[in-house]
Amino acid sequence: MNGYNLAQPERSAHGIYMQRLGCLATLFLACALSCLASSDPQPLQRGEELQTTDNEVGRYGGNLVVAQRSEPKTLNPVTAADAPSREVIGRLMADLIHINRASQQTEPALVKSWSMSKDGRVFTVKLRHGVRFSDGQPFDADDVVFSFQVYLDEKVHSPQRDLLVAGGKPVEVQKIDQYTVRFTLAQPYAAAERIFDSLAMMPRHLLEKSYAEGKFAQAWTLNTSPAEVAGLGPFRMKEYVAGQRIVLERNPYYWKADRNKNRLPYLDELIFLFVGNEDAQVLRFQAGDTDVISRVSAENYALLSKEAPSRGFELFDLGPSLEYNFLVFNLNDLKSRNLDKIANKQAWFEDLKFRQAVSSAIDRDDIVKLVYAGRGVPLWGNVSPSNKFWVDQALPHPSRSLEGARKQLKAAGFSWRGDGQLMDHQGQPVEFSIIASSSNAQRMKMATIIQDDLSKLGMNVHVVPLEFRALLDRVFQTYDYEASIMALGGGDADPNPELNVWLSSGGTHLWHLGEPKPATDWEAQIDQLMQKQMVELKYSRRKHLYDQVQELIGQNLPCVFLATPNILVGAKKNVANFRPAILEPNTLWNVEQLYFRQAGASGSGAAR
Amino acid sequence: MKYLERRVIHGILLLIGVSVLCFLFSDLAPGSFFDEMKLNPQISSETVAALRSQYGLDKPLPVRYARWVESVLGGEWGYSFAYNSSVRSLLVVRARNTLLLTTLATLFSWLVAVPLGVWISNHPGKWYDRLSMGGTSLLLSVPELVLVFGLLYFAIRTHALPVGGMTSVGFDQLGLWGKTIDLVTHLIVPVTTLVLASLPVLVRHVRASMVEVLKLPFIQAARGHGIGPARLLFRYALPAAGNPLISLFGLSVAGLLSGSLLVEVITGWPGIGPLLLEASMSRDLYVVVGAVMSSTLFMVFGSLLADVMLVVVDPRIRVE
Amino acid sequence: MASKRKIVAAVMFLLSLHLAILLAGFVAPYDPAAQNRDFPFAPPTRVRFVDAAGHLHARPFIYQCVARPDGIYEYEESRELRYPVHLFVVGPEYKLVGLWPSRVHLFGVEAPAQIFLAGTDNYGRDQFSRILYGGQISVAAGLLATGTSLLLGLLIGCVSGFYGKWLDESAMRLAELFLVLPWLYLLLAVRAFLPLHISPTQTFLLLVVVIGTIGWARPARLIRGIVLGAKNRKYVTASRSFGASDYYILRRHVLPHTYGILLTQAALLVPQYVIAEVTLSFFGLGLSEPMPSWGNLLANLQQYNVLVSYWWMFLPALALVLVSFGYLNVANAFHERLQSGST
Repeated sequence: MNGYNLAQPERSAHGIYMQRLGCLATLFLACALSCLASSDPQPLQRGEELQTTDNEVGRYGGNLVVAQRSEPKTLNPVTAADAPSREVIGRLMADLIHINRASQQTEPALVKSWSMSKDGRVFTVKLRHGVRFSDGQPFDADDVVFSFQVYLDEKVHSPQRDLLVAGGKPVEVQKIDQYTVRFTLAQPYAAAERIFDSLAMMPRHLLEKSYAEGKFAQAWTLNTSPAEVAGLGPFRMKEYVAGQRIVLERNPYYWKADRNKNRLPYLDELIFLFVGNEDAQVLRFQAGDTDVISRVSAENYALLSKEAPSRGFELFDLGPSLEYNFLVFNLNDLKSRNLDKIANKQAWFEDLKFRQAVSSAIDRDDIVKLVYAGRGVPLWGNVSPSNKFWVDQALPHPSRSLEGARKQLKAAGFSWRGDGQLMDHQGQPVEFSIIASSSNAQRMKMATIIQDDLSKLGMNVHVVPLEFRALLDRVFQTYDYEASIMALGGGDADPNPELNVWLSSGGTHLWHLGEPKPATDWEAQIDQLMQKQMVELKYSRRKHLYDQVQELIGQNLPCVFLATPNILVGAKKNVANFRPAILEPNTLWNVEQLYFRQAGASGSGAAR
Repeated sequence: MKYLERRVIHGILLLIGVSVLCFLFSDLAPGSFFDEMKLNPQISSETVAALRSQYGLDKPLPVRYARWVESVLGGEWGYSFAYNSSVRSLLVVRARNTLLLTTLATLFSWLVAVPLGVWISNHPGKWYDRLSMGGTSLLLSVPELVLVFGLLYFAIRTHALPVGGMTSVGFDQLGLWGKTIDLVTHLIVPVTTLVLASLPVLVRHVRASMVEVLKLPFIQAARGHGIGPARLLFRYALPAAGNPLISLFGLSVAGLLSGSLLVEVITGWPGIGPLLLEASMSRDLYVVVGAVMSSTLFMVFGSLLADVMLVVVDPRIRVE
Repeated sequence: MASKRKIVAAVMFLLSLHLAILLAGFVAPYDPAAQNRDFPFAPPTRVRFVDAAGHLHARPFIYQCVARPDGIYEYEESRELRYPVHLFVVGPEYKLVGLWPSRVHLFGVEAPAQIFLAGTDNYGRDQFSRILYGGQISVAAGLLATGTSLLLGLLIGCVSGFYGKWLDESAMRLAELFLVLPWLYLLLAVRAFLPLHISPTQTFLLLVVVIGTIGWARPARLIRGIVLGAKNRKYVTASRSFGASDYYILRRHVLPHTYGILLTQAALLVPQYVIAEVTLSFFGLGLSEPMPSWGNLLANLQQYNVLVSYWWMFLPALALVLVSFGYLNVANAFHERLQSGST
């Protein structure tokens, strides 16, 4: 079975690794007592500027096992586009400035400090001294400059590049000295430090060659020898078994320590199993194979919570996520697209009163009850109530009213036929279809509930399940749909990542893509407000601007917002320092601080 | 020998046909691998377009096909967009795992189905015949997925079996015996599911063919000669009932690579199934083509095997 | 004589099942699409004869189902009032056999109580009604699709096995092609070319055409194997030497050998094809909400939590077993009769 690991022969060629393999056998037998392996935390060095964490002091040892819904595809931080790959890479790599998932605020990571010029365009960062990659090589400004060179290189086509372009020009990166780097932006950019989050700093000594050869995309695949993959994250690559698991081991040089000067992480190994889907994830957690589970659906949460006491795990409901589910009508320009049938229906969709009627007919409370088994909240805007810094508290939450909806429709010239069917002023029956992703049970349920709600207004609505890519193709490419249920958000709390949703020129301006100029007055207003908040550096003023955006969206309903699920996670009781957060990665963001309580001590768990 | 040669050529033609159709279908199917990025507000549509062209997805179909053929001849079998590596390296490991699972399952289902089918065919209408028929009806009406979940639920409740995966985390550190035990316990749930799912088909076919044969005069005659039931059933009747069973066996062999998709996905078996399913959904085109091509190979082999066996078992066919 | 009685029994059983499905509107107490959002996943209502005080009642009755205040999707019976089950009650309007509007239902209870003989689904829809209505399309489509693929399989298998040579070669390679093609991709493509909303009639046709054409390859290979063996039997050679035509030989001497396998295949394919609608639904080609079909009722079972928490979601599978068992019995009985008649 050794042959499954394609990297194995190469590894055993190295003397060091032979030695380690020998140790690992004993390690496995007594994993709690591992003081032998060469991935033991390195003693602190003179002049090493460690970051001290404020967590409860833990003890070394143990393997944490997590299940992923699909297999990671790559270890390359630039090409990784799928969630499982990013989850693994996030534990292998580190960023300069980090968003603390619990506080949702930025904090220094690989930099010990940063400063911004008065005009908000020039960023100067000071790197920590003595930081080493997981292979023991030092990290300095050259690695930073190299990493940004890769991200910004147009030939590499990194998805991160778009983040680093402000005012049409890419960020300029300049090395001042070995530990100082300066970033210059073409225009001031609000909360610019947030863009550094999750931008992995890569080792120049390992990647320069493939970059120079133009083969960066092929670097660091899953089959690359672990010795050639190094990062600044709490763990480093140990083993990949195709289709089954990735095993990470402690990065012995990690740059964080607890208040007793113990170098983090506490865990010996972090193991990702690949299990296929959410149900399998639940099964494995239920069976005790995995220690932590993230983003459980409400039904599975209910299922698990019945067994939580007897099986020694605990479940956490963290409250609403930042994701927003919405119903969007197709308001795209359909001229020259040969979609006359849909174009005719757009007369309804474009009417604000029609959209308002739809919005007030939808029973959001029932959506929360039936789709999320009560573990979610209804939404009337794009900002989730758990986004404390940005949600507009003044946004109205009109309750469901079929009466109100009928009044709106009547005012817009609609009428009802004898059998209750709604007719438009031309005598056409109101009939349209809602597409939703067939693999997403939640959105399918929402569609079915909306269908039933709208049938009470006399609208004949069809629910059309589509395979996800086929749905994306219709929404983004062919515009051959009438209405769709989709979800966005969830990445960051700040408004800037949402820019392309609300700017009329944005690539995710779903209801009307590729507007050459704003199609309506309110879209023009939103454009202005979003641009303004983007260059505004003061939070209170930004907040004021973004509140206005939220109100405009709420009044004009380009999307009919529905609900957001709560973030539901679970962990075994003996996992300590477990502080799940609503930002992704919900459970593993502080994995370096996690440790296993002694077997006897487990079950108390009173600290939480 | 000539026959074999001809079959091999036909097999190659079939492979070419399948590959062409795969490309055609994939061209007709909406969406491409990079489409999901469009949903991320932080990635511009230009970047998505650039990625598409970098991987040659904007090229016309014949060009893409030619490139793929070139890569097949070069031993790469195409390139996975998601994994940024050759399709062959992805498939080989997983095909081995799938084969381990499906060969065992096929073996067991035949080992159970033939004796059971023969036995109940000898006593049609008896309670165990009815029970088997009812049981197979029930098994047929329950989706395969429900079977897996049921078994996994049992595994969880009893703590007797692992609930998924192929090996435990510390597998590499185990000795040979430990490894075997570990692998076998992991095999039980998926193999049982596959056996249960294919059993009704096999049992019913065995029973039906046997019932036909048992009515024939030569069986009556053999019975009259006082030949024991076991010898009568297995030595005389079964070979005579063989033809449809052999065809069925050929189909079993043909489905070795493709038959366990769902079970693999749910039990986390690291075979072709999860890879193929994810690749189809994410339009990782060459992975799909590669997986389909390898199951075509099995199909060709399976039907060849069946035809050869037909000739061997049934001398009457040999006349041609 | 016994076999005749057997046939009558099997046919009667099957007929009553079909009658219930055909007259779904009358037999079902509720509209299959009506949501009771306060009762998601309510268990089957218990029909009782003995009340909480221990008294026996001649007329069956039920207790009202109420949600338990503390649980999610958990219910209990409110024992205060008995709701007797009445026959021929007036309820929601439906069209009998799709033609005559009516409001009379076979049975029902007085509001506010509701009788859910097979429990409810996620939206609180009465599953008993959904099973009955769902059978309308599923049974017909399953049977027709099976018929189509068996007919194609029989035709191709016979020709292939009987004439051999290049016909056989090409037919069998075609069968292999059909067995391995990535149908998922084709389904995606088919979906892209169809209008967004597909009416139940179109879905029905799609089911029959798609499944029927994809599924012919297996039976064709099996039948070919039989034909290969049958055509070289002594009596076939003999009848050929008497100058019998191919058609005569096929019909008289070869086809009878395939009946067994055809019946077996039919018994296997009907349930498989009904379930196959789940896959088609995933691609947006199945019957869409809120219309029920056995396929999409069974799709509920594919979620682990539903499977282990709500046993009544298995009931649609039971309906499927009953119908396919019914057909199998009838087919077997006829087959036996046919054989005993021929010898």
